[in-house]
Amino acid sequence: MTQQRRLTRIAGLLVVPATAALVLAGCSGSGSRSGDGNADSFTFTFATSNNLESPYEALAKAYMEANPDITITTNPTPNDKYGETIRTQFQAGNASDVVQTTPGSGDARGLVPLAEAGFLEPLGDTATSLVPSGSEPLFEIDGKTYGQPMDFTIGAVVASMGTAAQNGIDEWPTTMDQFYAECETLTGQGKSMLALAGAAGPNAGLTAQGIAATRVYEVEPDFNTERAAGDTTFAESTGWKDALQTIIDLKDRGCFQPGAEGGGFDAITNGLAQGTSIGSFIPSGSAVEIASAAPAEANFKVQPFPAAKGEKPFVLASSNYTISINAKSEKKDAAAAFVEWLSTPEAQEKYYEVSGLLPISEYKNLDLSDTIYSPIVDILAEGSYTTLPNNVWPNPAVYEALQVGVQGLLTGQTQIDQVLQNMDNAWGE
Amino acid sequence: MFRYTKLTALREVGFWLVALVFLLPFYFLVTTALKSDREVITSSTLAPPSAPDFGNFAKVLTATGNANVIQGLLNSVIITAGSIFLMVLLGSLTGYVIARSTRRWSRGVYYLFLVAIILPTQLGTVPLYIGARSIGLTGSVWGMILLYSGMLLPLAIFLYAGFFRGLGTEYEEAATIDGASRTQIFFQVVLPLMSPATGTVAILAGLIVWNDFFTSLIFLGGSANQTLPVAMYYYIGSLVSAWNQIFAIVIVSMIPILAFYLFAQKRFIQGFAGGLKG
Amino acid sequence: MSTTLRSGQQVATETERVVLPRRGGRGRRVPPPRRSGQLKFGYWWWALPGIVFVLGIHYLATGIGGFFAFTNWTGIGAFEIVGLDNFVRIFQDPTKIGALGNTLFLAFGSVIISNILGLGIAVGLNRGLKSRYILRTLFFMPVVLSPLATSYIWKFIFDFNGPLNVILRGAGLDSVARAWIADPTWAIWTVLVVLVWQNIGFAMVIYMAGLAAVPVEIEEAAAIDGTTVWQRFWHITLPSIRPAVAIATTLGLVNGLRVFDQIMALTGGGPAGATENLATQVYKQSFALGNFGYGAALALLLTVIILVFAVIQQRATAERPEEN
Repeated sequence: MTQQRRLTRIAGLLVVPATAALVLAGCSGSGSRSGDGNADSFTFTFATSNNLESPYEALAKAYMEANPDITITTNPTPNDKYGETIRTQFQAGNASDVVQTTPGSGDARGLVPLAEAGFLEPLGDTATSLVPSGSEPLFEIDGKTYGQPMDFTIGAVVASMGTAAQNGIDEWPTTMDQFYAECETLTGQGKSMLALAGAAGPNAGLTAQGIAATRVYEVEPDFNTERAAGDTTFAESTGWKDALQTIIDLKDRGCFQPGAEGGGFDAITNGLAQGTSIGSFIPSGSAVEIASAAPAEANFKVQPFPAAKGEKPFVLASSNYTISINAKSEKKDAAAAFVEWLSTPEAQEKYYEVSGLLPISEYKNLDLSDTIYSPIVDILAEGSYTTLPNNVWPNPAVYEALQVGVQGLLTGQTQIDQVLQNMDNAWGE
Repeated sequence: MFRYTKLTALREVGFWLVALVFLLPFYFLVTTALKSDREVITSSTLAPPSAPDFGNFAKVLTATGNANVIQGLLNSVIITAGSIFLMVLLGSLTGYVIARSTRRWSRGVYYLFLVAIILPTQLGTVPLYIGARSIGLTGSVWGMILLYSGMLLPLAIFLYAGFFRGLGTEYEEAATIDGASRTQIFFQVVLPLMSPATGTVAILAGLIVWNDFFTSLIFLGGSANQTLPVAMYYYIGSLVSAWNQIFAIVIVSMIPILAFYLFAQKRFIQGFAGGLKG
Repeated sequence: MSTTLRSGQQVATETERVVLPRRGGRGRRVPPPRRSGQLKFGYWWWALPGIVFVLGIHYLATGIGGFFAFTNWTGIGAFEIVGLDNFVRIFQDPTKIGALGNTLFLAFGSVIISNILGLGIAVGLNRGLKSRYILRTLFFMPVVLSPLATSYIWKFIFDFNGPLNVILRGAGLDSVARAWIADPTWAIWTVLVVLVWQNIGFAMVIYMAGLAAVPVEIEEAAAIDGTTVWQRFWHITLPSIRPAVAIATTLGLVNGLRVFDQIMALTGGGPAGATENLATQVYKQSFALGNFGYGAALALLLTVIILVFAVIQQRATAERPEEN
């Protein structure tokens, strides 16, 4: 009768998945993450902002070519959610064996809080030797290094001089007046001076910090130390006010692309590659990635953002990308071998080739006059740069407040004073 | 008696138009997923693809790492099936006892479950998370099955209790007279009778588990055991805005549930409408 | 009925007691007979695993979470009890107040709109349409889809160069076209659209089931008496489907208050936190930023709100005496 048939049907429906469950439970093994059971295979998570091949992908491939019996499973993870993603994974114990992190504690992916929480494995002497002297607190706790620096990244404007020339701009503007004048010219042609991914926190934040390099740190290089000591605040800082006001001015005077407040990373990639925008505040390493998608005449260069009147150009320069090992990893030896390999000259060479990022170990010795860094060779030589500010801040909430604040300024939701106040509140006592 | 007038015909046509507009998003879904990388940037979003390109699906199905869709699909199947099984077992046993009991406490227990259905899980998520982590159940299939079953058990119990309340005890009486033990009565007499309720529980709870994202993200995100929604989230995240590829994976994620739905839609709808009236 | 079995009266036979129909569910107003306290079928301890499970996963975990709402725990290491500090912080932070507002807006907005539209479709499909079952299947389809998947589709539609804006620009309404998802005023409405789109079918089937139970004769009699369509609807149809309204609105409300997937996929909480609601904030604070105590306080607030509204909802829609 019907009940009998229904019973059989339900039983049938349950049997199939039940068997599948048993079979697959057997197959998926002891929950090992690397999948193919090879003792030397491991996983690697890093941040990406576009669909182009990331330098880390290229490095992983190179390593696999050199070591054919090792498989690296890469997990490119969106840059705008990177911090919360890896934190969630670390806390649940599901993170990859090798994870890209950032120095300091001012970002959700900062290695200091992650190490303090016991999520990262201490690295060896190679890593320690690469840490730039003077910035040990950003990489080490109690003398142990938790992230191996990869790069020396310049935070300034990456601009396509080829696109600029095509639009009648032969030289990068050195004053704000010139800059605004160019903005007007370009808007008239339906283009923009800068591409901004307003909806992506990291870009909003980097833009603000890139501008703050000249407005704040050129004038008071010790701002961060003073703020930590409580001698000053963001709200009181005329430099920070000026920096944020500049962002509003840039928007009002048409320097960003239409719809910038809602733009994602693709706005930058497409804008720069297709020539609708001249430049963007992106890490210098991204220039090479994007150049691969742009025509050869694009000729990307790292240019300093014009200083305010009476000030000298100043850029951000520090290590932004560190490689860490998951403390819960079951493949620590394999991971450590990979991380060790990343410090070798051949790996650093490859890294430079595919990313344009200055290798941490070699940059002082390189001749940069023929590279994308040619415009700032002098600035670097003079030491007119500062570490990426948020690496030094005490917790990720301050940077988050800045990122969200910039977005709010672009859409008109907040005021400058409110943003700076939020940053101070986030700093804590 | 009801006449099919011209007005009715007009109404029918009208609703078909409404339905078509309502389902327009699916049109965009399919047409965009079949466009090549070039075409998706250059062609108008409204236009259909000039030549369907299935390459996006190939890419989706061969993704690896955190974005491994096939793995996510298998995990979803296992976890959903396991959770349904556990819920049916515990839910029916508990619901049966509550419905058949005449003691006072059964009423209280019933309300206990009713409130638990409404109670949002957010507050308990962090403690559960920490508890699971300390036992080592995060990132594991069994941990998720236990978790989902626990989370949806009140719903299952509520449905079963309601069902058993309405079920007369004649069969059980007869079996008792025949000398069957209580356990035998349940598993041999009652179990077959409760298949409508089991169907409802399987569909309602199964759907929730299959589509769940938040809990799976937190407990399984990044592990080899993550479910389909999480794999999809990671895959799409890395794509920035390649809509054709994004929609390819969205379609892949929708196919299992849509196939099931179309196959058993009457059951689905009955389950939702009928089961919830309690 | 069991009314004949008040304590004091002898019961004829066990069978009689058991076989006489009982009214189950919430409508029971008669206490169960106290005389025979014995469980006739099954064993009471069968319910034990289920009860323990639910107590543990729901009540115990929620209780512990509630406790942490009054601390400043970061998830690792020690913590201190900070009393009501977290709650004070919530109400002093304009973004959290905004999240609270969004929570309520999305919940009530989605319930009201999807129920009105769902009812409309249910009524329209109710009588006589030849293809009502196919139409019903079509309208219900979005309900079974994953909220994450549907959000991605709508993200495309609302994109700056997506179909919506293309249509608007094509119709000459260029000024109306905008970056919907990035617009601080309109972003929350995009979330609402996605919620409604997915939930109309849900409301619809509940109402269709309710309407199907309304006897045709009453309506016909009223029609013969010369009432208008609207009068018939308001005075006959609506009251008959009150239980359906109760269920649809309660469930819609409770689920609307804890929307998460759609917001994360569509806007991520932006622009600048304009579309955050309590559920997304709980996630960000607890998991992304490591402020477990603060996140728990937000979650506690959400729980209280949901419980309050669920109770009000039940009182408001189920209190009337059930009509037959």
